[in-house]
Amino acid sequence: MAASLQRIGIVICRTFPVILQRNIQAQRIRDWKTSAPVLRLNFRALSSSSSSSSSADDTDSTEVLSRYSDRPWEYLESEEYIERYGSKPVWSNYRRNHKGGVPPQKTRKTCIRGDKICGNPCPICRDPNIIVHYKNVNLLQQFISPQTGIVHDPIRTGVCMKQQKLLNKAIETARDCGLLFAQLPHVDYSKEDYSNTHGAVAPTPAPFSLSSGELWYPWYGSIKPDERELARVKRIYKDYLKPDV
Amino acid sequence: MATFSFTRCLVRSYFCVKCVDHVQTRLQTTASRSSKYSKSQFTDTEVQDILTKITGLDLKKVFQPIRQQLTPPKYKLMTDTELEEAVRKAEEQAKHLLKMPPVLPERKPVNDVLSEDQMLEGMGTAKYVFTDINFNVPHRERFIVVREPSGTLRKATWNERDRIIQVYFPKEGRKITPPPIFKEENLRVVFEQDRHEDVLNQCVVQFEPDSAEFKNVMEIDVHGKYDLLRSTRFFGGLAWHLVNGRRIDGLLVDMLQSDLMQDAVRLVRLFNLVHPQSESAQHAQRQQATDLDLLKIYAQYESNRAGFIELAVQTYEQTKALSSF
Repeated sequence: MAASLQRIGIVICRTFPVILQRNIQAQRIRDWKTSAPVLRLNFRALSSSSSSSSSADDTDSTEVLSRYSDRPWEYLESEEYIERYGSKPVWSNYRRNHKGGVPPQKTRKTCIRGDKICGNPCPICRDPNIIVHYKNVNLLQQFISPQTGIVHDPIRTGVCMKQQKLLNKAIETARDCGLLFAQLPHVDYSKEDYSNTHGAVAPTPAPFSLSSGELWYPWYGSIKPDERELARVKRIYKDYLKPDV
Repeated sequence: MATFSFTRCLVRSYFCVKCVDHVQTRLQTTASRSSKYSKSQFTDTEVQDILTKITGLDLKKVFQPIRQQLTPPKYKLMTDTELEEAVRKAEEQAKHLLKMPPVLPERKPVNDVLSEDQMLEGMGTAKYVFTDINFNVPHRERFIVVREPSGTLRKATWNERDRIIQVYFPKEGRKITPPPIFKEENLRVVFEQDRHEDVLNQCVVQFEPDSAEFKNVMEIDVHGKYDLLRSTRFFGGLAWHLVNGRRIDGLLVDMLQSDLMQDAVRLVRLFNLVHPQSESAQHAQRQQATDLDLLKIYAQYESNRAGFIELAVQTYEQTKALSSF
């Protein structure tokens, strides 16, 4: 009797926390699903989806997709955005949970793994309508300092590292396309020579070839040999000279 | 043997210099033969003088705070003389910052084949690029050659040269492939936001001043928003381009509307310098006209908006007469 009770107690003690954790997570996922329409396409692609789940996805994905996935910049003018954030940046009311006064110098790697979202997700992951896109200039501006033009550190804004990387890429593309301001260095033109006459960039001049009668060195013709030296050389090599010389 | 090769090199270089000189003199003679009057070039001192004066020197716009790492501000106590000295130094710095990007003739394409080796054909599928990476060689004298899979060894084209030099000697702000801002759609968007200066800065950083892409971007029409570029380094180039295309009416009207009489006069004088065969230039030379008469002559003979220009000149004369009383 006591042994069986003990065994039941052990089983309950072992299974209760697991059930509790599963319940908590299910509740969190339910909350996340009901709070706003969810962008599930990315997560489905990431997780290994079997054929059965994909057929269920097709019916799900049409309603589960965020309304602003095609034009993410429209969300920043919508009423729900203004109600939720007002005129402040998206990351203003976010607070990280960490031990001690100094936060870890890197935020978490990612908030969303597969289907699961962590507790206290970062400002971008907690609102599925906020999509990091290079045309979403108003959102990107919130993550750039207006005075220095430097992208804010993730420790300041609280975004996870994956979203920070996406942000960096989007800001770079926006600057390349001219949608965001990019500070460029001043170019000095005084020192360079633009004549383009050097052989590296101009056609190579044709090789010098002698025309008939022309001598290799111009002074060849003007020097007269010494008569005695000439006679001596001719006498020495008289067997080898041509008959007319 | 060494002395022989050395002297041969000297002779060769002498002949090369002679060839170059000959070519240059030939070019000059053809140029002078084509125009009866001497046409002013961009680099003439008079032209540069006029262009710098037109550009103006608005210190507040030139020294606009740029986006960089901020430092706490420094406060200095100065006497009047020191203040004047500081302002003079600032003006010199501004002049240096407002130096115009040069207007050069378009660079000729490089189509030189150094050797053709048939036996190297089919060795591989990729081209090999050989670059001279000595540090003390100017980029325009750097040898960059390409061995094609067909075996020909040729000098690299200008585009290839720019890319390879950017790989080995990267310049700040320049990308290896031109950024998408220079495509049509993006340019339109940026011009709608009135950010011509940013595009021109990007162009100046990315391209060499004698390349075709540089010229294409710099020749984009400003459509009447001359104020945006007024105190930047691009105003001179813009004015030069408009004068060459004989389209200075818009700019003249803009200047007259903002009461810049002297600038308008200078612009007309520049026009006469660049187009000495035009009617207004010939009339001006005959009558030795100065200041407002130049404007009137130009309005009479060349301009499309003659009425507006004459009206503006008249109002200016009236206000001057009134103020002198």
